[in-house]
Amino acid sequence: MNTIAEFMSTDHRACDLTFATAEQAALTNSLSKAETAFETFRQNMQRHFRMEEEVLFPALLDAGGPGGPVQVMRMEHAQMNELIELMAAAVANKNTQEYSGLSETLLIVMQQHNLKEEQILYPIADRILAAELESLFSRMQAIQ
Amino acid sequence: MSTVSLSTEQAPPISVPLRFFAVAPLFLVLAALIGIMGDGIADAHTPALLAATHCITLGFIGMIMFGAMQQILPVVIGSPMPSSRLVAWFSLLPLIFGTLSLSGGFLLGNSVLLHLASVLLGLAFLVFIIASLVSLARAAARNTTATAILLSVLALTAAVTLGIVLAQGYASGWPLDYPKLAAAHISLALGGWVMLLIVGVSYQVVPMFQLTPAYPKWLSVGLAPALFSALLLNLASNYFEIHTLEFFAVCLFCLCAISFALVTLRLQFRRRRRVTDATLNFFRLGMISLLCAALCAAATLIAPAHEYFRQLSIVIFILGFALSVIHGMLYKIIPFLVWFHLFRGGVKKGVPNMKEVIPEHWMWRHLWLHIATLLAALLASFWDAAAWLLILGLSLQGVVLSIAIFTGIMVYRRTYQRLAKV
Repeated sequence: MNTIAEFMSTDHRACDLTFATAEQAALTNSLSKAETAFETFRQNMQRHFRMEEEVLFPALLDAGGPGGPVQVMRMEHAQMNELIELMAAAVANKNTQEYSGLSETLLIVMQQHNLKEEQILYPIADRILAAELESLFSRMQAIQ
Repeated sequence: MSTVSLSTEQAPPISVPLRFFAVAPLFLVLAALIGIMGDGIADAHTPALLAATHCITLGFIGMIMFGAMQQILPVVIGSPMPSSRLVAWFSLLPLIFGTLSLSGGFLLGNSVLLHLASVLLGLAFLVFIIASLVSLARAAARNTTATAILLSVLALTAAVTLGIVLAQGYASGWPLDYPKLAAAHISLALGGWVMLLIVGVSYQVVPMFQLTPAYPKWLSVGLAPALFSALLLNLASNYFEIHTLEFFAVCLFCLCAISFALVTLRLQFRRRRRVTDATLNFFRLGMISLLCAALCAAATLIAPAHEYFRQLSIVIFILGFALSVIHGMLYKIIPFLVWFHLFRGGVKKGVPNMKEVIPEHWMWRHLWLHIATLLAALLASFWDAAAWLLILGLSLQGVVLSIAIFTGIMVYRRTYQRLAKV
């Protein structure tokens, strides 16, 4: 990995994959699989949010990066977290229909959020944090 | 690089895109009503068919694209249109009345209406084109989508200019080379504006909606410039009457269109999200239609029934490709907008999720109705009854889509009022 954009985009794709697995399991009524798959997805998402909120965003702001966009990204994380919690309840209640609607909604929120990060925020981060990439990568990888 | 654009307020108010979406389906009904007045669709140049076609291309396709661009630009290129409300009014109203005057002008052979249409449509497109160019100039993301959208706006500018020249020419009786100008107008409007816009937006939304792999780089970088070059070559061949050049331009365009359709179908086949919804099928139908339209266009080069294949290619492009993709996009965008604008308020409880806005079975029924309409359109030149089925299908689609859009608006209003009381 040479850039923040590549590093973080790869993690986006990994989250997408667990999203699709969880959705497939929930919609085909394999309940035990659905719970495990959803849990993996939730953990992946939370790990990604923490990588950004605890390492990348503070580094970006310290280096004089744009505060407004970072604020919007945090707000969208909060939105996605709320949807993920509603989905957790749907999995617990075995409510497939509810899960399917929430999952459809989360997908669009997640994807348009990723687009903004990948096309705008990460390229900015790559420009202003070029000197400390290695340290950023290892700090982000350390997050469980 | 500007970062200002990535703000909370970058999405336009929900009323901006919905206003365009609410009006557009009425033009499908109007096109069908005009079709009843016409004498079949055997001749593409009857006034009734010209009027009906422009109701679909300007009143429906143009209207939806005006609204959708306001919504999509902030997401795909990171830059909203300036003064969204003002741009919305100054493009929506002249587009509505301009399309009505143009259709009326064709039907009645009335030159005053045709002059009026030129002024109104000129204004609508001028506002829209300037707003799009400002948004593109301010775009933070310089990606392949931004390039495709820029080229599509340039093609639109040329298509509108030619359209106005044609309308003025008809109205004033100028001695113009109408078939030549009309051919250039059609290729720039459909092959340029509609095709390039769908290509550019697909680069982002196809992977996004179904979690497919990204478009291969050779395609996303090369396709839009290649399509645009093919259009320019076609214009040059048309103007200088060089038939070898025309052959080359049509081949290049068809090759690009076929590659785009095949790659998109393959990406969708390899999607990680296995759920099949009506939207995905609308999109797949659109790509299969594009494939057929391109093959028909290629057939014009070798087949003896040249004019028949040309018209068939245009019909499949408009009804099969453009309309299918638009319907599919609308059934994603509208539920998302309703959810998004309700959920960002303080109260989250009771906000309907995307599948609670427009019932899924409604979208599936529309898909089947759309397929039936398309089949009727294909048979219409051999079988008179099919022309009536086409008219019926088109008007029913207008009604079905109107009901879906108003359902979305009502869900938004009711939930908004309920949440306001909490």
